Formats: sequence, C-alpha cells, structure tokens
Amino acid sequence: MRYVLVLCLFGPLVHAQMSEGVDYFEKNVRPLLAANCYPCHSAKSNPPMRGLLLDSPAGTQRVIVPRKPEESLLITAVRGTGSLKMPPGKPLDAAQVETLVTWVKLGAPDPRADSVAAAPLKPHWSFQPIRDPQPPHSVGNAIDAFLQSARAAHHLSEPRPASKLTLIRRATYDLTGLPPTPEEIDAFVKDSGPNAFAKVVDRLLASRAYGEKWGRHWLDVVRYADTAGDNADFPVPAMALYRNWVIDAFNRDIPYDRFLKLQLAGDLMPDPEVIPTSYISNSRRFGSRANEFHLTIDDTIDNLGKSMLGLTIACARCHDHKFDPIPTADYYALYGIFKSTAYPHPGTEIYPHTYGFAALNAADAARLKGFEDQLSGLDNRIEDMKAGKIKFASDAEKRKAEQDNQANLRRLSHEYPAIAKAYAVHDGKGANARIMVRGEPATLGAEVPRGFLQILGGQKLPASETGSGRRELADWIACKENPLTARVIVNRVWQWHFGQGIVATPDDFGARGDPPSHPELLDHLASRFMQDGWSLKKLHRRIMLTRAYQSATTYSEAEALKDAKDAYLWRFPPRRLEAEEVRDSILFLSGNLDPAPAAEQPFPPEMSWRYTQHTPFIGADKDYATRKRSIYLMQQRIRRQRFLELFDGADPNSETGVRALTTTALQALFTMNDAFVHEQADALAVRVGMSYGPDADRINAAYRLIYGRTATADEIKGDRAYLAKAREALGSAAMPDFQRTREAWASLMRVLLSSNEFLILE
Amino acid sequence: MQSRRTMLRSLALGTSLFPAIVSDLLASENPLAPKAPHFPGTAKRVIWITLSGGMSHVDSFDPKPKLGEFQRGGKTAEGNRKVLGSPWAARPHGQSGLEVTDLFPKIAECVDDLCIIRSLHGDHNDHFQATLGIHTGSVTFKRPSAGSWVCYGLGTENQNLPCYVVLAPEMPYAGSQVWSSDFLPGIYSGTRITSGPEPVPDLNRRAATPELQNLELGLLAQFNKKHEAKHPGDPMLDARIKSYETAFGMQSAMPKVLDLSKETAATLKLYGMEPGATTGFGWQCMVARRMMEQGVRFVELIDTGSSHNWDAHGDIKTHEPLARKIDQPIAGLLTDLKSRGLLKDTLVVFTTEFGRTPSPEGDIGRGHFNRAYSSWLAGGGVKGGMAYGKTDDFGLKIAENDVHVHDFHATILHTLGFDHTKLTYRHAGRDYRLTDVSGNVVKAVLA
Repeated sequence: MRYVLVLCLFGPLVHAQMSEGVDYFEKNVRPLLAANCYPCHSAKSNPPMRGLLLDSPAGTQRVIVPRKPEESLLITAVRGTGSLKMPPGKPLDAAQVETLVTWVKLGAPDPRADSVAAAPLKPHWSFQPIRDPQPPHSVGNAIDAFLQSARAAHHLSEPRPASKLTLIRRATYDLTGLPPTPEEIDAFVKDSGPNAFAKVVDRLLASRAYGEKWGRHWLDVVRYADTAGDNADFPVPAMALYRNWVIDAFNRDIPYDRFLKLQLAGDLMPDPEVIPTSYISNSRRFGSRANEFHLTIDDTIDNLGKSMLGLTIACARCHDHKFDPIPTADYYALYGIFKSTAYPHPGTEIYPHTYGFAALNAADAARLKGFEDQLSGLDNRIEDMKAGKIKFASDAEKRKAEQDNQANLRRLSHEYPAIAKAYAVHDGKGANARIMVRGEPATLGAEVPRGFLQILGGQKLPASETGSGRRELADWIACKENPLTARVIVNRVWQWHFGQGIVATPDDFGARGDPPSHPELLDHLASRFMQDGWSLKKLHRRIMLTRAYQSATTYSEAEALKDAKDAYLWRFPPRRLEAEEVRDSILFLSGNLDPAPAAEQPFPPEMSWRYTQHTPFIGADKDYATRKRSIYLMQQRIRRQRFLELFDGADPNSETGVRALTTTALQALFTMNDAFVHEQADALAVRVGMSYGPDADRINAAYRLIYGRTATADEIKGDRAYLAKAREALGSAAMPDFQRTREAWASLMRVLLSSNEFLILE
Repeated sequence: MQSRRTMLRSLALGTSLFPAIVSDLLASENPLAPKAPHFPGTAKRVIWITLSGGMSHVDSFDPKPKLGEFQRGGKTAEGNRKVLGSPWAARPHGQSGLEVTDLFPKIAECVDDLCIIRSLHGDHNDHFQATLGIHTGSVTFKRPSAGSWVCYGLGTENQNLPCYVVLAPEMPYAGSQVWSSDFLPGIYSGTRITSGPEPVPDLNRRAATPELQNLELGLLAQFNKKHEAKHPGDPMLDARIKSYETAFGMQSAMPKVLDLSKETAATLKLYGMEPGATTGFGWQCMVARRMMEQGVRFVELIDTGSSHNWDAHGDIKTHEPLARKIDQPIAGLLTDLKSRGLLKDTLVVFTTEFGRTPSPEGDIGRGHFNRAYSSWLAGGGVKGGMAYGKTDDFGLKIAENDVHVHDFHATILHTLGFDHTKLTYRHAGRDYRLTDVSGNVVKAVLA
C-alpha cells in the first residue's frame, strides 16, 4: 500500500505519470477484468448482464468514480460490502480487490478503444445543467460554507486569517499586478472598520491597473501575439487595438457573455464593434499560401473550445473525440461557420500586402478597400506571372508587364493612406463544410450543416441565415443554458485568485480533465455569476470577501499529509510573482514605470514589409524596449520575448490556461547580472537615498517599499554592516565617495529585489 | 520533522512497485536531476547537427550516377522528368565500401562509423514547417523539440551547465521554436550559446568586483534561508536558493568549457580551426565535444540560418562552400570523440529539413524534396559502415525500408533507452509524445 500513499500525497506530480497508470491497467487490471468480469459483462456476452459492458471504457465508467474507490460501484461490488456482490459465487481475492482499488485511485486510466457504444448512466458532470445548490449551512458566507464542509469531510483544519499586511499585498498584486504603496498599506492597517478590506477591493477594481492585470489573463487564454505566425511572421500592428480593447473591457466590466459575443461576432451585433473580432483573426497563420488555411481555422476552433468551453474540440478534426462526446461532424459544423468568415490577411512572403482589414472609421472603408484590392491584385498578378500562369506574346511584353507591376507597386506604396484599421473579420457567404476524412483536406466526406456541438444542444442555423452563423454561435456559447461557459470562467477566476482551479484542468472540462474538487461550490459561483449579470467585478468581490481568500499561508505538515495539493484550501497557497509582476514591480519601485497605456508596436512602416521565410520579421529587443507595463511588450510568435519566456510567461502560440512554474539558473543569472535589474536597483537606491537621511531610515524605507513592512532592528544592523563591507568590496579603484555609497546601496537593493520575500507572494 | 525528501527516499526504499514514479518524485525537486530511462540505452548523450535549408541527398550521401548519365544522354526519368547530374563524383570508402560523393571528402573517410539513412521522408516541403518537423515531429503545431524531450526524460549530469545547449550562429527557420520546450516545463528548453563576450545572456558578472558579487550572493542566501525557516513546506523556496548556487557555478563552468586554450594544436587542426578562433563550425564542434565531456545531455549545432544556406534553388554548386565549412570539423569531431572513447555512448545525428529534387530547377539548381532524403547517425550504439533504406535510381522514390521522421525520432529515443510510446507528457487532456501517434524503431540500424 505504500505506493498508493505516495500517489495520494502527490497527486499533481502523479498527473504527469498517467502513462504509468496506463501500464498498470494493461499489466494488472485488464487481465483481471477479462478473466473475471468479461464472461457476463462484455460485448461478447449475450446479452451483457444488466447492459453493463466492462470491456469498454464508457461502460466501465458507469461503475467507477475516478480516484474514489469508496464511491465506485465496481469496488463495493467486488468487496461485497453492499447488497451487490460480484463476481457472483467467485469473489476476488484481497490482492485482486486491491489491484482494482489502486487503479481507481490512480484515476482509473483506461487506454482501451471504445468500440462499443455504451450510454453512460448520467452525462459527464460538466454537461449537466448548472444548479444552484444550497450551501451546507446558512450562516455566514456561502463560499466559506462549501469550503468548510469539504475540509470537515477530509478531516482538515480551518486556515488562520492572514495579517492585514499580507492581505493588502495579496489583493493588490492579484487585482493590479503591482505592489501596494506604503501609504496604501498604512491606510488599510489603520482602518479598523468592518468594510476596510471591501474598500480596498473596490479601490483596486476601479484602478486602470486592474484591466492591465486581468486583461493579461485573458490574453494568455487567447494566445495573444503581435505577429501572425506565418513563415515570415508578419507583424500585425492592429493587434494592439484588440489588446487595449480587452484591457478596457475588464475595466468597464462588460458582462462576460457580451464580452464573448463581441469577440465572436461583434461585427454582426446591433451596435457593431469590429475590434473585438480580432480574437478570431489572431488565429495562427501557416505557410505563405492559402492552401493551409484549414489549419488556421483549426486553431480558431481549438482555441474557442479550450478558452470559452473548456473542451478539446480540435481532437475531433480527424476522428470522433476519443474521450468526450464530440463526433467529427460537430467539428465540421463549427468549421463551416469559420470557413464562411473572411479572415483579414496579415501579409505573407508571397502575398506581402494586407487586405480584408476593417476601417475604424466607416468613411474610410471604401478608400481602404480600394487600396487593398489594387495591392493584393498586384500581389496575385506578380505571383501568377512567376508561376507562368499568364502568357505573353514576347519576352519584351513580359518585361514590360513586370516593369508596370513594379511601377504600380511603387506608386501605390507611396500613395497608401494612413487609415486606422482593425485586424477584424468580415462575414463571408454562408456555406456548409464537408467533413475532411482523417483531417485530410483532399479527402472530403459528407456535408455537415453549420451548427453547435450536439452535447451542448446541437442547435443548427435557421434556414434564413445567409451569413456565416457566427452571431448564432456567439448566442449558443454565451448563454445561461450552456452548462460550460459560466463554469469555465468562474473556475478560471478562482484559479487566478487561488493559484489552482476548482477544476485543476481549466481548459479541459471533459472526461480527461480533472473532476471538480468542490462541484457544488463551482455551481454556486457559476449560478451567482449569471445572476449578477455575468459581472466579473462582482465575482471578484464575492471571492475576495471570503474567509478563504483572507486566510494565511501557514503550512502544516499534518494537513499536507492529508491534502498535499491543498485542494481543500487548508491554507492560502503562496505563489511566485508572475513574469509581468516581476518586471512591473521593479519598475514601479524604482519609480521608472510609465503607467500610460501603449498604442501600436513601433513596427517598420507597412509598405516596407518584404519579409520572407529566409529573412523573417525579427524584432530586436532594443527596438521594442519600453518602460510601460509588461502587457505592452512586443510578443512575436516565432521568437519569444526573452524576459517573459525566462519567467514562464504565456505561450503566444497556444492557449495557456495554467502557466508552468520553473525555477532556473538562468532566472538567477537575470537577477544577478541583467542590466535591467542593475539600472532599476540603482534608481531605487537613489530614490531611497534622496528621500531619507540616516541609513536606518533609508533601510526602513526600502523594506517598506519592497516588502511592505518595516525592517527589524537586527535587519537594520545587519544591512548597515553589509553596506560597509560592500563599500570595501567595490575595490580600491579611485571613486568619489558619493559614488561608492550609491553603488553599495544599489548592491543592497539588488539583494532585496532578488529575495524570496519579495518574489514569493503570500 | 521529516523532510519531504527523506520521506520520499524512505518510500523509495520501501517499495519495488512503481520505482519510476518514486524516482520521478525525487527528481521533481530538481527536474534536471539525472533520471533512468525505460531500459539501459546505448547512448547517453546526443550531438545533433542540422544543416539549414535542405541538403541535397543525391549530391551527398545517396549518390545517383544515373542522373548524370541521363542528363548527358538527354534522357528523362519517369514522368518525362528532366534530371540533373551531380557535380560531385561518387566513390566507395572505408572497409564498408559505402559510396558517398566528394561533396564531403573528410566525412567520407569516416563512413565506417556512419549509419546512413537513405530513405528518410517528412511531411512538408517548406523550410519553416519541415524544420519544425525534423525537430519536433509536427510540421504544423508547436511541439517540444527532440532535445527538450531527451532532457525531460534523462535530466542532466552537470547541474552547472544547461541540459540542452544550442550552438547556432544564425536564427534558423521557425526561430527559437526549433529548440523550444513548448508545453514541457521551460527548464527543458534549449539554451542558445553564442560565441563572443557573453555566450549566455547575463552570464557575465555585472557587479563591480567578484568580492561584491560574493557578498551579494552571501546576503541573499542569508535572507532566503531565514525566510525559508519561517515558511516550511514550500520546495520552491529551496529551489530558488539552489538556483543561485547553480547560476554562480555556471558563471565559472561556462567560460571554462568555452576556453579552448588548453586544446593542442593537433586537436585544433583536427577540427580545422585556427588557434584562437572563437567562431566557425570547427568552434561549434569543439565546444560540443567539450560539453559532452562535461556532462551536457544534448547539444545541437546548426550550421547556417534561414538564409545563405543549403537552399540551392539557383545553383547546386552553392553546396560546395557550405560543405567545406563543416566537412573537416565534423570529421574531426567524429575522430576526436572516437579517440577519447566518447563515440561509443554519444549519438551523433546529422540531418536537414529535406532533400533536393533530382530534377533541375532552372538549369543547375534543385528544389525542395521531402519525399526521400538522407541523414546519418554515428556512435551511441548504432551500426557503422551501413546504409539503411534505398531510393530508386534517381533518388526520386523510396525503393525500400522507408524511414519517416517519426521513425527516425523513435530510433534516436530508443538508443537513449526510451520506448518512444511511453515518453509522454500530459497536456491539454492528452498524453503527447515526440512521435505523435506513430513511429517505429528502425531495429536494423542498432548495433
């Protein structure tokens, strides 16, 4: 049983070990089932007893609850502890029972192909309607009541409350990505009123920085990038409009259902907004020609499935989904909608000029289209001539035509007007798609009417719909009856506050995802969220004004042995600052943060773009350097922004629901040696030095800024001694005294800025 | 109080079930700690050489005299296809008598150590996608690179150097995606090292004096240890403390491994290097060998970038100077690894994103050709002096024993001790692997 203990204690680590679990199934479980259960419960038994098929994963799932042997009918039946005793007359021996228990505890990994259609007794939990469960007790906060009852059931103790300092630091980072100022800390600590913390939360939610922090969370999910991802990675300056729209949407607290609808079909709404549909255009581009556009649509479907619905729909591109009830036809029902959508062209090696963008000012639309048509027409003509598709009577005539093309290009480039435009989609002519057999575009199967996933309602477009159907799709996704949309976002918000979701796999609510640790709490949050008009700010308040959010990170070995993942929140989970928080905080502390929002990236002018796969667009860091918040850093698809990559920033190519956390020597080298850290530490030293006279006051001021607390007498003594040693260690080179002082202080600031107390948020 | 590590250790000793899980749990404290593969491998480390742009197979390791004959005779191959003969003559070499062309005369002398695969084929005919394909197994979506998978599976021997080092003077097609760990933890990403004053970003001490840096690191360790004592139960705190020790170690280990001053004139000559050189492919090969000696797990050498490379559309003879640049260094590397006893458990991979058309493009160039091309393996438990797979008389079609890129990857992982179907990582609801859902180990090439 010892290995079982290991597995229970270290669930998250075991997750990566699913293949061992599969091995375990193949070596131990499958033979056992085959020998003892298949005779009466398999496709070959005639008829299978009680209709139960244990030779199919779906059938087997009817009688097990992964990770919960006590709740699994299979286990109680083979143990014979209930009314059902299996196999009849030939009970399994203790070791065999233990094998099955171990397997269920491992999450019941089951690699068998589901050849047999077996209707599960109940649909998978996430496809069931969202309920509004009664909290276990009616006194106090409902969220706390759900959490408390789960802790009690797992014999876990209640967490202690966090100190006010810890709390304001946590809340300020969580909502704004920046540290609280000493003044903000003082005001909160002094405020002994019952609503002191609620006031802090409201203040933070009203700050512009809130959108810059939470907009970034959304950009993680939609794999935001400033370039297109084609062979030559063309820049897309207009993506900045979308980025800023997202920030603004969070700040304005646009209802989440509307937030989604605008991104899917803002151009088709009664008050059209085109910028948000850049969400669709942001799908990755492939190659230089149009022949791989199905991959771009696949990227759209993949992202909308994971980000909005928590479903891995794209698995159904080549075959019916192996684990979730998503047949290939469902994929192509969605595919038809996006195939009927005109994506803007960001430029590629072969067709370098953009087209299909949306003029922000309607009055410019015709003029923009005129230029786009002429330039893309020229691109096509040049390519057709290269490919020999246009015949000429003589070489001279051909040369003349080539010269004309170049002259036209020069003229149009010169005349090209500066028109503000969005990387937005347009509606094309509605047409259904045909299934690509095994995902091969060349092998077409049956046509599928455009519509929605069957498991979520299977709605089809009305016959009157002549456009793409995006507007209907937006309604199907962002509606109260959809069991996934609200659950998925409240789970994400919960995760971005607590470090882990109620469902630990935020992008996969399907059969392969983790089940919720607190199913009722999840539904409570989702139903309240919808009652609150899909308001994210109200959701933050609901979550943050709980005892759970305001509890301490105090560790307990005894509790850890029972719940190593802290899934039941016996303490508040500490976390390392995220990449953006590290950089923004350092700039904020040194006084060098430029808090103003950014506009477009300073890309070279569009008419100069001649990027190819051999000489792709590669933005040099120095050309895109900024002191604005990190959400505004230029992020390419084929080349990660170095700092963001180093500190586990989001992947600009695929949905990042959970940022991995790494601790590396290269990160340490960054804080030890990077010019950025040295410059900002120097500025911070000057800031502290200029404001305060005696060293003790300066040290205290630095601690207040960086850690939020005052320095202890011992720390002041130790740091003063350090400053003296640092002055000596600067060497014997001639140096003015003020310089020596400044460098010694900068050295101390570097240590404080590299320390765990600064980088680990409690 | 029992620490997590001791607890795990005691569990590890107490059970023979699932030893892999327990050893991985231990490794989880340092994800780069050396790990045992599925079975004892014949190779312990890898040098992976990529020729960027698409090296012609019919002009190098899969010579086709018929191309020249047909061209001279004005004859066309099937499908009324014009063909282009190779400017380089082919001849047998070594005891094995393997035939290769004079494009790489020095590597040719090493054929008895090479296992040439003449029937490789990939899924895409464009540089960007095919470059991703040969590195990650996927020509479309971003996936972890082979080097990242190997580091994820094996960890590394030397904690003061990166596990996966990339020596690439220019950016290849698809940029840093080529060595990205993608959904694997970032610690398994390739670290690009450049020759020059700062081979790794932020490697050089910026604090004014070494004494000052020592003081800083001392104070930092003191702060962090005090903080850790007040915050038990969080392995990340300890990991961060250790990361500074490693970083400090890297500051001295990296310059040491890059310091070639102790290499003899004879060794430099072997690699075709001038004394004092700090660039060039000879330098890359020499550094690769030194990294192998120091316990780095995976070193990738890319000879050129996304331009001025093997993409010989206009004139196949542009292969000549590119070959000259790498021929002696690679031959020297093989010889040196062998004489130091390293070749037997170091796998050398020599590959490119695709081959080139046997037909001419224009008059004397060749286009992209992913349907059949050549690569070779050496050392690390593969057979030397053999060719595996065959193309037809023109290098147009695979005639026997095709090796898909997935098979190539499966074979490489096998030499390292991995069942490629089991080296998996759970991401977005699926267990991913380097070989996607296919791949067969080419058993015939294993010694």
